[in-house]
Amino acid sequence: MKVFGAALAFLTVAASAQTSGDLVTLKVQGNVYLITGAGGNIAVQTGDQGVLVVDTGLAEMGDKVVAAIRKLSDKPVQYIINTHVHPDHTGGNDAVRKAGLTYVGANVTGNLTDAGVGAQILAQDNVLKRMSAPTGKQAPTPFGSWPTETFLSGRKQLFFNGEPIEIIHQPAAHTDGDSLVIFRRSDVVVTGDLFVTTSYPFIDVDRGGTIQGEVDALNNIMEIAIPGLQDEGGTYIIPGHGRICDQPDLLEYRDMVTIIRDRIQAAIKKGMSLARVKAAGLTKDYDGRYSAKSGFGTADQFVEAVYNTLSRKK
Amino acid sequence: MKAFRWLLCGFLLACGLHAQPQTPKAAATIDLSGYWVSIVTEDWLYRMVTPAKGDYASVPLNPAGRKIADTWDAAKDAASGNLCKAYGAPAVMRIPGRLHITWQDDYTLKIETDAGTQSRLFHFDASKAGAGGDWQGASVANWDIEAGARGPLPGAGLRVVTSHVKAGYLRKNGVPYSANVQMTEYYDRVNERNGDSWLIVKTIVEDPAYLTGPFITSTHFKKQADSTGWNPTPCTP
Amino acid sequence: MKIRAAGLILLVAMGCWGQGPGGYNPIGPGVSLDGNWGPVFHEDAHERGPGPELVNYLGLPITDGARMYGLAWDASRFTIPEHQCEVHIVSYIYRGPYNLRIWEEHDPVSQKLIAIKQYIDNYQQTRTIWMDDHPQPPEAAPHTWMGFSTGKWEGNILTVYTTHLKWGWIRRNGLRHTDQATLTEHFIRHGNHLTHVSILTDPITLTEPLIKTQDLVLRVQNGQTWLYPCEPVVEIERPRGTVPHYLPGENPFLHEFADQYHIPVDAALGGAATAYPEYQSKLKQAGAK
Repeated sequence: MKVFGAALAFLTVAASAQTSGDLVTLKVQGNVYLITGAGGNIAVQTGDQGVLVVDTGLAEMGDKVVAAIRKLSDKPVQYIINTHVHPDHTGGNDAVRKAGLTYVGANVTGNLTDAGVGAQILAQDNVLKRMSAPTGKQAPTPFGSWPTETFLSGRKQLFFNGEPIEIIHQPAAHTDGDSLVIFRRSDVVVTGDLFVTTSYPFIDVDRGGTIQGEVDALNNIMEIAIPGLQDEGGTYIIPGHGRICDQPDLLEYRDMVTIIRDRIQAAIKKGMSLARVKAAGLTKDYDGRYSAKSGFGTADQFVEAVYNTLSRKK
Repeated sequence: MKAFRWLLCGFLLACGLHAQPQTPKAAATIDLSGYWVSIVTEDWLYRMVTPAKGDYASVPLNPAGRKIADTWDAAKDAASGNLCKAYGAPAVMRIPGRLHITWQDDYTLKIETDAGTQSRLFHFDASKAGAGGDWQGASVANWDIEAGARGPLPGAGLRVVTSHVKAGYLRKNGVPYSANVQMTEYYDRVNERNGDSWLIVKTIVEDPAYLTGPFITSTHFKKQADSTGWNPTPCTP
Repeated sequence: MKIRAAGLILLVAMGCWGQGPGGYNPIGPGVSLDGNWGPVFHEDAHERGPGPELVNYLGLPITDGARMYGLAWDASRFTIPEHQCEVHIVSYIYRGPYNLRIWEEHDPVSQKLIAIKQYIDNYQQTRTIWMDDHPQPPEAAPHTWMGFSTGKWEGNILTVYTTHLKWGWIRRNGLRHTDQATLTEHFIRHGNHLTHVSILTDPITLTEPLIKTQDLVLRVQNGQTWLYPCEPVVEIERPRGTVPHYLPGENPFLHEFADQYHIPVDAALGGAATAYPEYQSKLKQAGAK
């Protein structure tokens, strides 16, 4: 069995990879699949009870995401879980929600006639706060995308399709509303943008992100994920963007974030300004791999976020 | 019918010509000719600089060999005109430098090195190999037919057996080989998708006088488009 | 009469072109690499066995970024539980001590070669080299220590291409290539000798492809297991998430190796130029022996 282990993993992934327009679907492990190409990564759990989706991609990809989910299962989507508020992970909420239904009442209006209309959307409470607006004010996102059930801190637990699922809040990390989603029997962790393979972490300071929270979250994932034999596989990790990973892959990223934090911390202690820190090239050993060419996750952006959140008076 | 007979005769003639043994140059299935540069990514401290006396790590030296290595005297070699002791056939391919490989004739492949300005002749006709006795000895070559090869042999490598070499050094710090040394080499060429070509030289040195077993190394050279960098220099300590 | 003549021509043709070395064998091309192979450490024994010195990047075509990464690396990182069981990546594993067993997998009906398999007893790694037009895994597929490999025969040389690698060693003293690296290998057999050529390409950490050649001999001894199974333990109590490293400019070993061997620090810091013969004149100018 060992002889075919790694080869089997590749065979399984290669054989199960489907393309649907811009989207690629791969089986991860157990009941969990990855849909990639819709913005942020999307995890899909299937089974007899229905479908559970973690994140929904960009709004404009909603129909394609639904089509890709349908290829995996014709059962209704019962749950959407959002790892955080960003639109490349929540944009498709409305489209995917409408493709599903809920067998228990939602708490949006308290009206039992709402039960059965669309899937439930679960998230940490700050996600709802940032997607909605107080009465009378214009909300940044459509009502149909909003989480229908939230939790404040700690964790929320489900049991679905034969496995326990934990949603664990990671405070003040990438944002103030991040959650890890853990499929305990499938042994898959979905991290949202707490971990990506495509760039430096984007610490969204305006939405409550901090470097220390990000480091803590990465260490939490490190402790949850257990590598398989020969230090690969085992717990699979679906990052917010990029390929399917395992603990050793995450380890490189965790080390990188920690080292850069330490360097900037040392620079702050020496009294260096942000401009001097940027000029010092403290990320040069990692820029080739992780600095995004544009948009989110550039070296400059990362250094600035780390500097600013470390410099805050406590 | 007459036309058919002519066709048959022509065909048999063509077969006859084909069946004539080809010269080694014509039979070559890999092209070793041209300029090659050594890329020293291994054994750097033993090749790019002269290692310290007594450092013969990696070489399977026996006690007799270690005794000679431990008493190496560079000045003595210089004074006696033996600066090229480390440029003999068993060692010259490990000296960083460039090779220029050409066919001297249809039966003789020539390798010139700019480092130490050495010249090696690989004779496919063993009778022409000569008596040796100098730093490069007598080398007999053949296109290597790997036992157990299962298909046609495009890319068969070159096998060279060298003997009758003047006693010298496997490394510049006096790690010895005797005049009874026998060396077998394999030359293979690989071509990469990015356009690079590499010459891989596997060297098996056997010398019961000083070695406990075969001393096996593989040296790689990158193909150059021309003679850029060709820099003949005398032997150096 | 004409039919007999045609038949004669055909027989003669088979005779003509069937002669000479390498008469075609319908089983397939190449040469069998089956058997147990053990490495020979007649080059770089010290680096490949006990390990390279710190800040010894001689001959390696590393980028500035890779050098900075290496200089930041503290060997104490091996003491962290999550680093203790790391497997040698396929681009490095053939450098170390191991026993290598090679065998072939054939389709049970057609006997067509499907894959060449390798068991490397160091870290208990099993490697599959697909020989049958196997589809490349998608970009989002996991990366592994042995990567995804396809192979082909070029004459009697097995050429292998590998992608989907994890981060891994360029040299075991802190120099690493990224997970974007690709590997080309050639396995060349001559009798009981096998030469393994590896060419690593990673534009993020290498300015040009890095070539190494390793020698193996056919052995009777069967490989078993070595360094595995592995169980990480806490060796040193540290605050959670500590990653041992040196701040930029503070590596205390910067000069140690260079001074010990009387070579310039610039040489020890590596770079493509240090691998070319002309670098010797620079060494002479710097007074290296």
